[in-house]
Amino acid sequence: MSLPPFKVLRPRSIDEAVGYLEKHVANIRVLAGGTDLIPSMRQRLFSPEYVLDLSGVAAMRGVRPQSDGGVEIGSLTTLRVIENSGFLRQHYPVLAEAAATVASPVLRNMGTIGGNICLDTRCLWYNQSLTWRKGCGFCIKKDGDLCHVAPGGTKCWAAFSGDTPPALLCLNTEIEIAGPSGVRRIPLQDFYTGLGDSYRKLQANELVTRVFLPASSADYRGVYRKLRVRGSIDYPLAGVAVVMRHSSNGHSIGHIADVRIGITAVNPAPLLVKGATDLLAGKEMNDLLAEAAGDLAAKTAKPLTTSALTPEYRSEMIRVFTKRAVLAAAGMN
Amino acid sequence: MKKELIELRVNGRLHELAVEPNAVLLDVLRQELQLTGSKRACDDSSCGACTVLLDGVAMMSCTMLAISCEGQEITTIEGVSEHGSLAAIQKAYGDWGGAQCGFCTPGFIMTVKSLLAENPDPSEADVRAALSSNLCRCTGYNQMYDAIRSAIKAEREGSAVTK
Repeated sequence: MSLPPFKVLRPRSIDEAVGYLEKHVANIRVLAGGTDLIPSMRQRLFSPEYVLDLSGVAAMRGVRPQSDGGVEIGSLTTLRVIENSGFLRQHYPVLAEAAATVASPVLRNMGTIGGNICLDTRCLWYNQSLTWRKGCGFCIKKDGDLCHVAPGGTKCWAAFSGDTPPALLCLNTEIEIAGPSGVRRIPLQDFYTGLGDSYRKLQANELVTRVFLPASSADYRGVYRKLRVRGSIDYPLAGVAVVMRHSSNGHSIGHIADVRIGITAVNPAPLLVKGATDLLAGKEMNDLLAEAAGDLAAKTAKPLTTSALTPEYRSEMIRVFTKRAVLAAAGMN
Repeated sequence: MKKELIELRVNGRLHELAVEPNAVLLDVLRQELQLTGSKRACDDSSCGACTVLLDGVAMMSCTMLAISCEGQEITTIEGVSEHGSLAAIQKAYGDWGGAQCGFCTPGFIMTVKSLLAENPDPSEADVRAALSSNLCRCTGYNQMYDAIRSAIKAEREGSAVTK
């Protein structure tokens, strides 16, 4: 399948990029690593008049540790750089681990952290060619007004399928968004709407430019577990990120001082599991407690038939992975 | 669609080309430069048959616009041989049956080149992780693994690859 016709704009700076977005706001798409946008354009999910190629904006790349102990990551930084960053592996291991599970090594050479945060939501009825979608009937997310997944419904249930956002949510990440009226900085948690179609709060003239991990989230133990059909290349069909810190207790590992659990690919947004901290903080990890955390996470997951595996299985795997991940984060397996 | 004039450096040679803005690198390599070693297969960014190196890093040429590649050194399978003879990895693929039907082989070899440039002495897990970027429908991964081990050994000993 060929790509639809478009013109390519190649800015050298963030200001220039935002200028182009503002000028062509009605009909422009942003190209970072291309691994999400280009296959989608082949399927005519997007047929923009302009494509804004960010590859020349050097200022948007790089992992920059800050003097306060936190770190700032340019949104064009590739997932491969994040996976291999000694600083991130040491201080924010959950992010490095989640980045290392995305797609395949070659795709991680291309895909960016900003692209993973902005990743389009996915559904069996959406990520298909124009011919396929025309044959089976267009849906709410693109060109139609019905939902094949929840017949009779008016809400889109396409699943958010990025691996790094659940890890980033656990780390209390903030992102910087540049637009015509300047830059704003928001918690990543406020970026997602929970809807499958208009899944993110980003105007067509705005750009995610930087990702901030606060010092207060550094040095937590981290674990990411991912369900997929093949061992490589695939998007997650369920994913669980856990960060955990223990109170120091002499020589042995102490009580859990703080913990957060994030899940992905089972809802239209990546979500923090509410109540996880209350359930686990101040306690010593054991199998029963891990089971309870798994049950809590599985209640947060609301998968529908948006991918090749059944909702029941994906929900069950959120429970199983959460149990295993909290045990692993506590050093117990 | 109005074509744009670009310069692409491929296998050490600079080419001036008029390309449509929506042309992917793979099509420009195959159709404009007749470099047909890189293959189009899955068409949805998963199989790796189109893998080339950009500034030494393996990427999928079907998933990038040709005009985004200006100013970068592009290496395709046609640029892998050394002084007219096969590179160690190419010879090892032949010797160890790393290629069966051969369709995926150029992509695999570029992935392996990228791995060895980054890490000349990869562990078994490193090699197997790198191979996970590409798909082979003849299921020849174990022979490829043997070929890669043999090529690394040959490079280290500076001798011809023998089985």
